[in-house]
Amino acid sequence: MNYLDYLTSNSEQILFLTQAHFLVVLIAVGVGSAISVALGLAVSTGEPDPPRFSLDWFAAGVREGGLVFTAALLTVPSLALYALFLPFTGLGVTTAIVVLVIYTLYTVLRNTVAGLTTVDRAVLESARGLGYGRLRRLLTIQLPLAWPVILNGIRVTTLISISIAVVGAVVQGPGLGILLINGISRIGAANSFYQVLTGTLFCLVVAAVFEIFFAIVQRLTIPRGIRV
Amino acid sequence: MSTATSETVDAQADAAVEAEEKKQGTVARLWSQHYDLVILPAIIVVGLALLFLYISTQQLDSIEQRVLEPANVLGLLRQHLVLAAVSTILVLVIAVPVGIMLSRRWARRLQGPVLAVGGFAQALPPFGVLLLMAFAFSFGPTTAVVGLTLAALLPVLRNTVIGLQQVDQSLIEAARGMGMSARQTLFRVEVPLAVPVIVAGLRVALVLNVGTATLASYIGAGGLGELVQQALRLNRINVLLVAGGIIAAVALLIDWLAGVAERVVVSRSG
Amino acid sequence: MSETTDQPVVETPHGAGKPDMIVLEGVEKIYPGSTQPAVSELDLAIPQGEIVMLIGPSGCGKTTTLKMINRLIEPTSGRILLDGKDVTHVNGDQLRREIGYVIQQGGLFPHFSIADNIGVVPKMLGWDKQRIRERADELLHLVGLEPSTFRDRYPRQLSGGQQQRVGVARALAADPPVMLMDEPFGAIDPITRERLQEEFLDIQRTVGKTIAFVTHDLQEAVKLGDKIAVFATGRLEQYADPDTVLTRPANDFVSDFVGGGAAVRRLSLVELAHLELHPVETDEAGTSGATGQGTAAGSRNGVAVAEVDGSGRPVSWRHLPDRDAAGTPLVTVPISGSVYDAVDVMLDGCASLVAVVDEEGRAQGVLHWNDLVGGLRTRQGHA
Repeated sequence: MNYLDYLTSNSEQILFLTQAHFLVVLIAVGVGSAISVALGLAVSTGEPDPPRFSLDWFAAGVREGGLVFTAALLTVPSLALYALFLPFTGLGVTTAIVVLVIYTLYTVLRNTVAGLTTVDRAVLESARGLGYGRLRRLLTIQLPLAWPVILNGIRVTTLISISIAVVGAVVQGPGLGILLINGISRIGAANSFYQVLTGTLFCLVVAAVFEIFFAIVQRLTIPRGIRV
Repeated sequence: MSTATSETVDAQADAAVEAEEKKQGTVARLWSQHYDLVILPAIIVVGLALLFLYISTQQLDSIEQRVLEPANVLGLLRQHLVLAAVSTILVLVIAVPVGIMLSRRWARRLQGPVLAVGGFAQALPPFGVLLLMAFAFSFGPTTAVVGLTLAALLPVLRNTVIGLQQVDQSLIEAARGMGMSARQTLFRVEVPLAVPVIVAGLRVALVLNVGTATLASYIGAGGLGELVQQALRLNRINVLLVAGGIIAAVALLIDWLAGVAERVVVSRSG
Repeated sequence: MSETTDQPVVETPHGAGKPDMIVLEGVEKIYPGSTQPAVSELDLAIPQGEIVMLIGPSGCGKTTTLKMINRLIEPTSGRILLDGKDVTHVNGDQLRREIGYVIQQGGLFPHFSIADNIGVVPKMLGWDKQRIRERADELLHLVGLEPSTFRDRYPRQLSGGQQQRVGVARALAADPPVMLMDEPFGAIDPITRERLQEEFLDIQRTVGKTIAFVTHDLQEAVKLGDKIAVFATGRLEQYADPDTVLTRPANDFVSDFVGGGAAVRRLSLVELAHLELHPVETDEAGTSGATGQGTAAGSRNGVAVAEVDGSGRPVSWRHLPDRDAAGTPLVTVPISGSVYDAVDVMLDGCASLVAVVDEEGRAQGVLHWNDLVGGLRTRQGHA
């Protein structure tokens, strides 16, 4: 049986697992990004160096702490996180998604913070000078201008999540990782190599679909005046 | 008693006070610049302490005791570190020279494609690469090292290329303008300026490899992933928690060490 | 106005007749963590419809003062009155919607079209769409940008000078009585800056706003200001009209700041249109053969004669009363310019006299180098 034969005769299973993989990543990245962007907005400060003990000062503290903490989480190997969450969230899709959400946090939070703080000071000052209140400034000036940077963070985290989601099969999470685990446990048996190969390569297919998806989202959501 | 003597004594005392102040000054300065480095080890220590406190309250059955025996855990840890260290060295030996080569004028055209492929390849699962190696060669540590190296190669290469790209072009022009050859410019200007980036690449490679090495147990190369596999196979939640905790602590600690090394190197290279 | 009865508002000696629009009373700003006030005990009154230039070395408190007027920076103590109303404690955002604000880098919102940028404040004030659109077109027109070309563009598609014009238009959008300008032309190249300054004065003639304008450029202050307020480390050193600041500096600081070039700078205050110029006669190029050189010189009796082209523009000197006409280059300066411009042209063209021309380029008179040291001073009153 050559590889094409394998693909055609197992197309239904492969397609199903690819879709599952896509969905798990989509849900996790969606939830994680929503959390990170909301957190990033909540802890954004008007001044770069707020006075001690002011509300902004605490927000800046939460922001820096949050970045350090989520960055540390990113260095924890995925297998360890799956293992640590399994006793609480059980075998299956919940654990797979929770862990992926955790990996999403840092990149999106970092890009949100960076995007919001690198908005041209002159633009913010003139917004203030024209009578924009803080919330209006944040939502109608800073967020749209930071959006390309945020969106890029979401894109990068999506690519990383695709490869991490594979390990989720260890805790019986859905997706292409199932092909890897099946293949390696049956090594030497018929089609075991094809299974592993498919599980690996189809991650790139999922990535390609996401790239197209993001190209469209970019086109639709980045304001015309700042589109490159 | 001549006045000269007492002046000398005063001067010595002043010098001593000054030296003392300077010493304190250095310590205080180091503390104020790097106090954040204390946070992570503190979290790791507290986390591990909580974990062992919890485990000590649990009645471990004989299977659990066998798996969590220090000799077993330490052996797996040693395997894990060897896998990560060897593959990281290999990645650096390959990726840094290739990155430098790609920064040469005649190879610049290749940079774009390398960066694009490198970016996209983030979606290529290291787990898959590792397992595919087992089909190509055999089960065991050597295969695992090859797999780990391959999986980390593109990300580190990408970092090196970006780092060299960021070296200020005007400095390169100035160096050439002073009559340095292309080779001299590379080794005396570009590479030293890119050292921080290369060190950052080392850190990325190390973290990636420590992470991926947890999966090496799936191709019979041991490492701390073995603990997780055993816990899953034996369905022992306590083992699972300990295994996850130890892996997380080791990874955080190694990243922290790499971070400290990075700061030292960066502060030296100005 | 009750405020004026409790306490006499600081009356400036120059604001005769016009009521004060912006009044700062004992305003002080001390930044947190600093013991030195950035602005201390400042009293300043800006009469309605005037342009007051705030100038001084960097760190002198001029920008802090400006930003306290619309409370972008909250004063530590003191009162700020706008049109007689104490605004020290009203809602800052509401207040700022009623004050125009222009900053150096334009600060246009890059993701808003030009029309949307101009409509920012009217939109917040709840104007309807149609009215905002009409207002944007009207203002684009006022600042010299063709509405149909520019209204749908985005800021990055505009040059720095065009962006700054939009910035001015945006500040004018809701027709605020007061405008604050923070070095609006500071980042613009010198040639464009000069044109923008001219246009700004034209616009001001139509709109008649009360304007506080921060600059670090004395030339600009002299050119645009009805009054100049000179600041030094948080204190107001002199507040007077440009001529007074230049000729009678209040103290050593001001005279140092104004510098040795004060006499030269004053020249830019004297408009050519207000001078009595030497007369000039013209001959068309074709007629040169008909008039004999010698007799012409005699009959013209000490009047300069320029040879003009078909449309009446002088091209060269035919006769000059006291020197060789052929060896003297003919340079011209528009009558709308200042004596400063005339000197500039003379130095540039190595000519000791200059023909002053009207808008069509026809010679109106002659200004001699010697007039600068002799005759001008007596006619100073016209400027």
